[in-house]
Amino acid sequence: MATISTQFVEELEHYGVDTTMDCFNCGTCAAICPLIYEHFPRRMIRYAQLGARERILEQANDLWHCLHCGLCTLTCPRQADPGELILGLRRLVVAEWRRADHV
Amino acid sequence: MYSPKDIIDLLAANVRRTRNPFGVPKRLMNRWWKGLELPARADTLLYTGLMYQAAPYIEQTTSMLERFEDSKWAPYIGYARWMPNYLAGLGLYLMADGKEKTRAAGTLKNIVRILQSSGIRFGYRPELDFYSGILLYDLGDLDGFLEHARFVADRLQQAGVRRLITVDPHTTYALKVLYHKYLGTRLEVKTYFELAQFPPAGGDRSDTTGPVVVHDPCFYGRYLELSEVPNRLLTGLGYHCVPVRNSGPFTSCCGGPAESISPKQSREIMQRRVEELQATGAPIVAMCPICMGNLRKSGAQVEDLSTFLARAA
Repeated sequence: MATISTQFVEELEHYGVDTTMDCFNCGTCAAICPLIYEHFPRRMIRYAQLGARERILEQANDLWHCLHCGLCTLTCPRQADPGELILGLRRLVVAEWRRADHV
Repeated sequence: MYSPKDIIDLLAANVRRTRNPFGVPKRLMNRWWKGLELPARADTLLYTGLMYQAAPYIEQTTSMLERFEDSKWAPYIGYARWMPNYLAGLGLYLMADGKEKTRAAGTLKNIVRILQSSGIRFGYRPELDFYSGILLYDLGDLDGFLEHARFVADRLQQAGVRRLITVDPHTTYALKVLYHKYLGTRLEVKTYFELAQFPPAGGDRSDTTGPVVVHDPCFYGRYLELSEVPNRLLTGLGYHCVPVRNSGPFTSCCGGPAESISPKQSREIMQRRVEELQATGAPIVAMCPICMGNLRKSGAQVEDLSTFLARAA
């Protein structure tokens, strides 16, 4: 069971991502990604669309598998910029870590 | 895989304290220019971003990380940031391969020669040549990147610098795109090879040239769309650029960006790319210190673009 955050898409805008809902989950990004790793980045993008914030934080380390090579962004048929979305999720996670360090 | 948090905290602390991710003192790291007598006063400055100079330290660090990845020692990486910087930086400086330091300096000297023989007037000011902070950006530490980028941009602005010549894709992207996007800087940034000019190759030069295969870095191939330029220069000098399966905007990553957090993953990606390049049977041309260091780990014959161009300069 995962808690859903209905404001998560808006929250991501603070981290530079404004294309979260543009993705229609075709999987081109996962097919072109050199990682060939458990539906990456498609699954993370789906979590973001659903607002599964906690799930993303649980699996946060997976975000750093990304090479930031840009192939997913180049080939995305919806110009949903999956590479930037993953980078935005990294920023969110880093901000969470920094907040936790300061508590 | 190492803890991304530990790696980011370590790199961010190094950048904050020493202005480079390795903690190596700049006066030790950036010495290639000594003896060249490059003018300090010029409208256009050569800006290395210290990336080629960092290559020996990247190699040293990643070989250590590769050795301990997923071992019982891996979790202790987080403690490295508590080590005094001068000690860690000096240790890394002493451990890094001297041949690699000479090679990195040679690449930058070649670039100077290419620019000079192309008739480009430029200067170099080592005190203004800083690491761009790009690694922090790529790893998601936007605050750390911005703090460092502001420091660099302020110094360039105070010195009245408007035009820069860059030598690697990461620094080029940071200064040309990211500094403008996040800080509003208006620097005119060009790579050295965009400015390089050679007279057309005359006669049969097949004894000194031959087939080569160009590995386009992601930042030049996709992000900055500059792949055509090195190909055109090499072809103009008589080299035959053998097509490779993935190139230009569809180039394959060398795996380098993962080398700090997962050296094993980095090696897997690199091996796939090396297979593509080696299938052509031609020597490999790289134009990024990260790609160069990573592709060389396979034992493949890889030379920097500047080496080929400098032969004609």
